[in-house]
Amino acid sequence: MLESKTKQTVNKYIVILGVSVAVSAGLLIYLLITSLNRQDDLFFLLNNALLGILTLGSLISGLWSWYKLQNNLYDLPLKFWLEERIEFLSRWLNRKSAKWSLFLIPVLYVLIVLSVHVYFEHRLFVEVLQTEESLVGLIVGAVVGLTVSFYVFRKIRKYQLDNLEFLRRLYQKLCDV
Amino acid sequence: MNASKEEFLKMLSDYQGILHKVSLVYFKNKADREDNIQEIIYQLWKSYSSLKNPESIGSWVYRVAINTSLSRIKKKARIEYRKDIPEIEDKSDIAEEVAEQDSRSLLLKAIRSLDEIDRSIMLLYLEEKSYEEIAGITGISKSNVGVRINRVKKVLKQHLKKYDHGK
Repeated sequence: MLESKTKQTVNKYIVILGVSVAVSAGLLIYLLITSLNRQDDLFFLLNNALLGILTLGSLISGLWSWYKLQNNLYDLPLKFWLEERIEFLSRWLNRKSAKWSLFLIPVLYVLIVLSVHVYFEHRLFVEVLQTEESLVGLIVGAVVGLTVSFYVFRKIRKYQLDNLEFLRRLYQKLCDV
Repeated sequence: MNASKEEFLKMLSDYQGILHKVSLVYFKNKADREDNIQEIIYQLWKSYSSLKNPESIGSWVYRVAINTSLSRIKKKARIEYRKDIPEIEDKSDIAEEVAEQDSRSLLLKAIRSLDEIDRSIMLLYLEEKSYEEIAGITGISKSNVGVRINRVKKVLKQHLKKYDHGK
């Protein structure tokens, strides 16, 4: 029972990582295939290339964060473990890329919608963009995407700030004699 | 899981009592305790290769168990402190029922009323860990451990008296 519980726990984390990698890999394969099928449309290729770079960047950054998280061991004495967590979280909350990633979700959304829409419309990228319905859809989608990502990022940031506050409180309590 | 899997499982079965005790001190609900134990097992497995001194496995398990429990208690703590929603205790848990049969239930209740840090220190003290071992697990000095234990004992006594009068 203990063995199965251990395996189950380790597997849970591997599944989460596996799904993210599979989705990114799937998107990259889709981009590659559609680009090969539409080599005559320069703007479509540029759109796919940009989407590919962003996806690859997100995937690498995700894997890097996961790797760093794996190295965050819990076997330090409580005081040093708290110090390490506080430092890690403070650095993460103050990193410059945090603001940029807020805009990444709507940008990715627009690029993916464009890629799929243009490919299955069987028309050129520029032609699709000149259609009024497509433009309206993209603008509405971008605004919705930006709102959703702003909301999600605010929630995550608040959660992390609460965590940081909690860890600081624990550290203070541990050091107060 | 590689060649060290057998050793790890053997170690886990020898020291699994620590996982249950630490979880019991931090989580009232059985499901929360089970989740916490799973997380502790994962963290133990992750840092198993970095275990340098096999003679102090007990302290190592305590360190991982306490740190993991504290990292998981955050969400619970926020709910309890900010929204003041009482937690529903799971009475169907065998560990809980056994504890309730004797005076240990009062002690457990009193320990749970302490703050997060003092709960760990008191648990280690009750497990008859030396001040040196407690200092090694918590990272504070031996003298600080002594001062803190004396203070927590007084608080605990007051709580126990209060519960006794309330009976």
